[in-house]
Amino acid sequence: MSAPVLSAKGVRFRYREKEVLSGVDLEVGAGEVAVLLGPNGVGKSTLLKIFSGLLAPRSGEVALMGRPPASYGRREMARLLSVVSQELPVEFPMSVEEYVALGRFPHQGFFGGTVAEDREHRDRALAMTGLAGLRLRGLGEISAGERQRAAVARAVCQGAKVMLLDEPTAFLDIYHRVAFYEIVARLKEECGISALVASHDLSLCAEYGERIFLLSAGRVMASGRPEEVLIPENVRDAYGVGVTCDRNPATGAVRVTPLRSGGTT
Amino acid sequence: MRRPGFIIGLLGAAAAAAIALSLFTGPASVSFRQVLAALTGWASPGSSADTTERIVLSLRLPRALLGFLVGGALSSSGVAFQALLRNPLADPYILGVSAGAAVGALAAALLLPGDAFLPLPFCAFLGAALAASAVFLLARRRSGVSRERLILMGVIVGAFLNALIMLMVALAPPGRIPGAVYWLMGDLGLGTPRRVGVLLPYVAAGTALLFLLSRGLDLMLLGDDAAFQAGLPVEKVKAATYVTASLLAGCVVAVSGLIGFVGLIVPHGARVLVGSGHRRLVPAAFLLGATFLVLADIAARSVSPSGELPVGAVTALSGAPFFLYLLRREGGKT
Repeated sequence: MSAPVLSAKGVRFRYREKEVLSGVDLEVGAGEVAVLLGPNGVGKSTLLKIFSGLLAPRSGEVALMGRPPASYGRREMARLLSVVSQELPVEFPMSVEEYVALGRFPHQGFFGGTVAEDREHRDRALAMTGLAGLRLRGLGEISAGERQRAAVARAVCQGAKVMLLDEPTAFLDIYHRVAFYEIVARLKEECGISALVASHDLSLCAEYGERIFLLSAGRVMASGRPEEVLIPENVRDAYGVGVTCDRNPATGAVRVTPLRSGGTT
Repeated sequence: MRRPGFIIGLLGAAAAAAIALSLFTGPASVSFRQVLAALTGWASPGSSADTTERIVLSLRLPRALLGFLVGGALSSSGVAFQALLRNPLADPYILGVSAGAAVGALAAALLLPGDAFLPLPFCAFLGAALAASAVFLLARRRSGVSRERLILMGVIVGAFLNALIMLMVALAPPGRIPGAVYWLMGDLGLGTPRRVGVLLPYVAAGTALLFLLSRGLDLMLLGDDAAFQAGLPVEKVKAATYVTASLLAGCVVAVSGLIGFVGLIVPHGARVLVGSGHRRLVPAAFLLGATFLVLADIAARSVSPSGELPVGAVTALSGAPFFLYLLRREGGKT
């Protein structure tokens, strides 16, 4: 693996009295789709916020392209790293196109206008996420799955090589989940984007993720290829639920199936 | 939303037309030729030319221009507050500017000697600026200024200042404050050429600054975290927006009193016309608000034959139904 685009070493973080991260180590390589798994409240979002510079770790080191997030200027960093989360502005009418074009901000002068290059990037992002037909619709008028794609389109439009995705498929149906991960896979293939995805979607992550970090009790309890990490013992230790793990006969990827509470593993 | 440049041009023409219309409105009837003569200074030396010239140039034109500046400034300030607070119900008065200005105006009326009407605008501005700064400083924490704390502190400071207002009104010696109370209702009658001249640079600078901040305002709609991650220095933009929008509102309140509803409604109307992008929204809201207030003032002057209504009452009377219509329309869409 070449130099990691994202790295964390011994990262600790606490909200007031409660320690959330107690020594997290992980690395994401260039062009890699990595997945952050772990139960609710384990600190996945917190870790992503530390990577994006919203929060500062209490101790330990984080680096984006070898430098700590705090050492970057805001726009400089936004050209390297984009973030997809669940909050979208629907308080005010805004078209899909206008929303996606906001991604160009780090490339534009604060006071400058929009140039042809900005429009090209916007149109490419819309096309890549299959939103070209919805560009003039309002964000409030499209479905949740389309809105989530619009958030990805804005991140694509931002043109950063590293993407953080915070539970992007949480409220989506199975069709939109698959469509979503297909887009992430295409971004990796066509644009060489590296992604760190926080998710609860064990099976889809096994399908699309190249490397998995399983967080539990403030640490990375297991990491590696999906078939190495997603074994019943790890899943039970992290989530407290019994599962059976086999292979998807169609794709060969690991398949994780939860068992009823009486089941044995 | 198709041709925003065209719509903004149209709004500019509408504002000019409203100003022109207001030159003909009033108790004394003035002919088109007389107005033209007064404006171009070609008044033929005759009997009535001097009077009409005085009516048009010293009374009606300054009043129309004051309406233009006040309506425009309140509307672009409203746009900025709505983006800053990410709240469609925000207006320039939401964070204590109005109550601060009122306290300043009443204090001027009560404490300053006799015929001191002149410093009222200054004291009102001072009150507005002090209240706005207090809200900002109280809402500030090490991590920055959150919207929730801004609104909370705005409500608390506003409640405190409103108590002061009641206290001052109750304790005032009789006959001391009618002027200030009339001012509170919103009045463009204070438009003198000098006041318009003093206000103009502030309104121009404030609106230009908000226009320059428009990209930042766009991103603020995403929420603090997302705007930060998209590359915006969020706290700096917040502070710049807050200071600019508050001072802009404070300036016009000082000269015109509390004219409600313009800063709340006009931004929504402008959004319907040109969308949410602030590069178009700030100028469009300015021109729409300017037109609206000049027209409202014409209505206030011509509705009642026996005198004029406070323009603040007209804006609220015509604004409330429009706002209801807008809300129902929005409700139908989502």
